[in-house]
Amino acid sequence: MYLGIDSGASATKAVIINEDGQIVAYAIVPSGINFKVSSEDALRKVLESSGLGSKDISYAVSTGYGRALVNAKHVSSEITCISRGIHKLFPLVRTIVDVGGQDSKAVRVDESGRVLDFVMNDKCAAGTGRFLEVMSSILGKPIEELSKLHFESSKPVKISSTCTVFAESEVISHISQGSAIEDAIAGLHEAIAERIYNMSSRIGFEKDIAFTGGVAKNQGFVDALSKKIGLTPVLPKEPQITCAFGAALAAIKKQKENV
Amino acid sequence: MVNTSAQTGRSRVLQATRKTGELIMDYFSKAWDAKAQGKPIAWITVFTPVELLRALDIYPVAPEHFAAMCSARGVILDYLEEAERKGYSQNLCSYSRGNLGYALSGMSGLMPSPDILVTFRNSCDVYVKWWQSLHVHLGTPLFVGESPYVLTVDDLDNYVLDYVVKQLEQLVNIAEKRFGLRFDMERFVNILKLSDRASELWLETLKLRRFRPCPLGGRDSASDIFPLVVMQGKEEAIEFYEELIGEVKEKVAKAEGTIENERFRLLFDGIWLWYALDLIKYFEDRGAVFVYEPYSEAWAYRLDASKPLESLARKVLANGLNLDIDLRIERFSESIKEFQIDGAVLFSNRSCKSWSVPQQVTADILTKEFNIPHLLFEADMADPRQYAEAQIKNRIDAFLEVLGES
Repeated sequence: MYLGIDSGASATKAVIINEDGQIVAYAIVPSGINFKVSSEDALRKVLESSGLGSKDISYAVSTGYGRALVNAKHVSSEITCISRGIHKLFPLVRTIVDVGGQDSKAVRVDESGRVLDFVMNDKCAAGTGRFLEVMSSILGKPIEELSKLHFESSKPVKISSTCTVFAESEVISHISQGSAIEDAIAGLHEAIAERIYNMSSRIGFEKDIAFTGGVAKNQGFVDALSKKIGLTPVLPKEPQITCAFGAALAAIKKQKENV
Repeated sequence: MVNTSAQTGRSRVLQATRKTGELIMDYFSKAWDAKAQGKPIAWITVFTPVELLRALDIYPVAPEHFAAMCSARGVILDYLEEAERKGYSQNLCSYSRGNLGYALSGMSGLMPSPDILVTFRNSCDVYVKWWQSLHVHLGTPLFVGESPYVLTVDDLDNYVLDYVVKQLEQLVNIAEKRFGLRFDMERFVNILKLSDRASELWLETLKLRRFRPCPLGGRDSASDIFPLVVMQGKEEAIEFYEELIGEVKEKVAKAEGTIENERFRLLFDGIWLWYALDLIKYFEDRGAVFVYEPYSEAWAYRLDASKPLESLARKVLANGLNLDIDLRIERFSESIKEFQIDGAVLFSNRSCKSWSVPQQVTADILTKEFNIPHLLFEADMADPRQYAEAQIKNRIDAFLEVLGES
């Protein structure tokens, strides 16, 4: 069995796969402030749900912000892991757009899943999951409800600021002027989609397209970004674990290299 | 055990590089000596012809250089925050902000207060407004030299050149009258020869970076450039560059590189991140060495002492940021081949629009003409508050993995 751990800025994901690269179990826990603790937590959970023990894991690869703090044999970058994960699931994909807690990225891969080019957000958090987390708390709506409310909107508001702090005051002012919360939410999804579209355009949108990362669980955002790009993406069943899955696939490769 | 990615052998800086700190400290301490002796101190922008000032016995110091040094030593925040408390916005160039903070807080540090402010508008549009602000804040006399943009190499020989020569003469007249100094042509010619020799040595040294393994890395070039920025025309600069080239030639002969296992040869485009120079080591620890930076060539210029003023005027005009983009691209493309570049790191610098705006042109050349991968990241050259370390290292790791696969 092989383990991939993605120690992300917002959530830590652990995936166990078998020799064939099939997912046996996975776990997602909040990263909190201590990557070491959250990665141990994720590992414990994934072992529990798989019924395996740590001795059953022949190789582990870590990735994500806390990659060096996680007890794994090898570390790999998120870009490579996401590409590996998507290539296994959808070999026809050439462009991947990943939106996570603190980073958004677009990756262009070739027919063998090799990375050709990538682009990541600048140091600002506006095009990331953190932006939506901040907004959901201001609007008093849990992050899981954003998607449902998005599709209830009839007239999305226009958010012009790309700064999280300024966008916050913009949203408050829209609401105080009588805009509906669902219109604010749809407007926020459009704003973040716009930003990610602009960034990703630097490497282009060669078909097929896949969306990954925690934010891709939000159908409202997926809808806004798909419309902006003008293409229908493929999505893994659980988009948030794609990177950890890719890390686990890297573990198989590493094990083979070492034998 | 944690394997923090592909760490390869050790990397080291040159012996000569270790001496730059002392050399620069000495340069500043001698500025205070000059001040005490009643010699005028000029605050200059870094593409001002120091050779001319030196010939007049005016002691030049460069606030940009001082700000970079303060940033590298971790003491620039005091000055940045002082400027911000006085109302200067964080959006402004951090060199100018740091310097204005210094100017507005007593000027008691390493850099003595100015007796004249001299700038040439030959690389940066902010210079003039910055120097004007200093002039108003400090009441110090101001000289602004105008240098037209060089559109073709012919401009280095036509009325554009004459125009700059006239201004150099004007600067001499003003300084002579203001400070009762006398311009000595013989002394000037000698200074030009010394300046030319330092440039010659440095350019020759940079060329040696074409060898594999590269004998002089980014941590060296980032420091070794300074004697050429402020000490042109001084014997000490020549002594430094002679020692440096000797050491580098020895390394080439022994096939000793900056890093033990050279995997990638990189180009760095931009001004260095002074407060985070250890980022260069982060690359080196992963087998990547910087072998070429346009920045490192910026102050090197061969002078012809037989036509002193003309030659110096050409130097004022011909710095990279004042050159036509096609001329810059030509040099850039040559270097990619000459130094056998595998990848490029482009630093989009919040403070320096002159450098950062044309970077997409550079990026396109890398991709379309050479099919060389590049990494572009954002930060500031001197203000550490604009730097997201974990995020940048995350991108570097991904970039080096991509390079490793290609």
